[in-house]
Amino acid sequence: MFVSGLGYIIGETFKGLYRNRWMCITSTGVVVVTLLMLGLFMLVNLNIDHITETVKEQVEIVVYIEDQAAQEAVNDLYKQLSEHRQVEEVTYVSSEEHMRRLQMQLGGMLEGYDSALDNPLLASYEIKTVVPESVVELAEEFETYPAVSTVFYGQGYVENLFAVTGVLQYVGMALMLGLAVTAIFLISHTIKLTVMMRRKEIVIMKYVGASNWFIRWPFLMEGLLMGLVGAVVPLVILYYLYQYSIEWVAGNNLYFLSLLPAEPVIRELAKYLIPLGTGLGIIGSTFSIGRFLRV
Amino acid sequence: MVEADNVSMKYNRCKQYALEDVSFSISRGEFVFIVGSSGAGKSTLLKLIIREIKPTAGLMKVFGKDISRLPRRRLPSLRRSIGMVFQDFRLIDDRTVSENVAFALMVTGASRRDIRKKVPHVLGLVGLQEKAKERVCDLSGGEQQRVGLARALVNRPSIIMADEPTGNLDPGTALDIMNLLRSINLSGTTVLVATHNREIVDRFKKRVIYLDQGKLIGDEQKGIYTHVR
Repeated sequence: MFVSGLGYIIGETFKGLYRNRWMCITSTGVVVVTLLMLGLFMLVNLNIDHITETVKEQVEIVVYIEDQAAQEAVNDLYKQLSEHRQVEEVTYVSSEEHMRRLQMQLGGMLEGYDSALDNPLLASYEIKTVVPESVVELAEEFETYPAVSTVFYGQGYVENLFAVTGVLQYVGMALMLGLAVTAIFLISHTIKLTVMMRRKEIVIMKYVGASNWFIRWPFLMEGLLMGLVGAVVPLVILYYLYQYSIEWVAGNNLYFLSLLPAEPVIRELAKYLIPLGTGLGIIGSTFSIGRFLRV
Repeated sequence: MVEADNVSMKYNRCKQYALEDVSFSISRGEFVFIVGSSGAGKSTLLKLIIREIKPTAGLMKVFGKDISRLPRRRLPSLRRSIGMVFQDFRLIDDRTVSENVAFALMVTGASRRDIRKKVPHVLGLVGLQEKAKERVCDLSGGEQQRVGLARALVNRPSIIMADEPTGNLDPGTALDIMNLLRSINLSGTTVLVATHNREIVDRFKKRVIYLDQGKLIGDEQKGIYTHVR
């Protein structure tokens, strides 16, 4: 049986990792810590996104129908609203329903009031838009429609909400990009250092007649393994940490913090962290070893 | 076997030539000392032969081929035919004597059986069979150089090149190493030794190529170091 080939590469990879175990543990540790920080930030960012989207989804336009409007005009208005491209859902709310809601909100304050006889509240259409950010523009448009009395969308509050969520998302994205660049820099330099520590070995291999790929393969595999372990360990830590956070939020009745479920979030993180870890491991090793092979 | 025809070598950013218009020819089975003081161009010459560097001008032929034109993928094959021995031994410190020697066989794709057979044999030739399982960092300088020699020999190269092989050794050990090189040469291997060890050169009375400031200033059969200048 020949020593060359896959068996040699796998054997040398594990021997190399064992012989240089302290350096490899240190390098993998750097990858773990860096990707843990990045993963943690991604986790927070994903949840901030989720919470802001949830808040935004609650934004709606209420179109009040004129009291004197004919039934035909009301039907036309419904048709016009429901066929609008930027409208997702239109719900009719009668004046009686408005009164019922008001009574529920005010509790006993309206007790004895006969709403069937004298109900000053107007019927309305509650509209959910396709894009929450378009409510201001749409509200202005709906005001011009016939049979419309007034339009309400939480004027003032909505503009502030969108400004704050917009800033949060941009800041989150910028910080995440910064952290990702730092992770790339830190991991590739750590891998480079691991290869540099073994440059003597590489140069000797060249002198005794090893081909470049014969030298390169075990280093690439080592880089890949270090990157893989460096990505999987933070994912496991983040999974348990996140699971604990979800339970803590639920246990403390913080329902306004609607966190994303653990498994899909960790799967989403894995899509980025595993290719990043292994990719940097391989690329870091390839570039670092390159200059020692020019002997 | 090795032929230099008006070979010149100038390193980047250096004003002076490391080698200038050097011509010589070495035949199969010869034992040749390349002598000269530090900076004379001895190591540069060995680097040219092993194609670590290419000459700036002139023709360098090894095994009858112009090695400047040798494609990169053919370099491993050239280097397996030339065993290198270094002043600083260049061994992998955290491995055993056997592993250091086996290393040179592994890169050629040798079978495990072949490695198990050849390594003890070559360690026997350099007198290190007993130390096969010891780490090289636990050995003396002379023993480490023997490991270097065993590694150079294990692929049965046609040429052994030694760059200051006795530079880090005491006179007695240096003589042992040189005697080993002489016996390797007697078995038919061409041996090139770059050195400035006057005593050794004078004692062995082999062919001597003299270099001074990159120029070949003498080439004598059964030469002695003291003839320089």
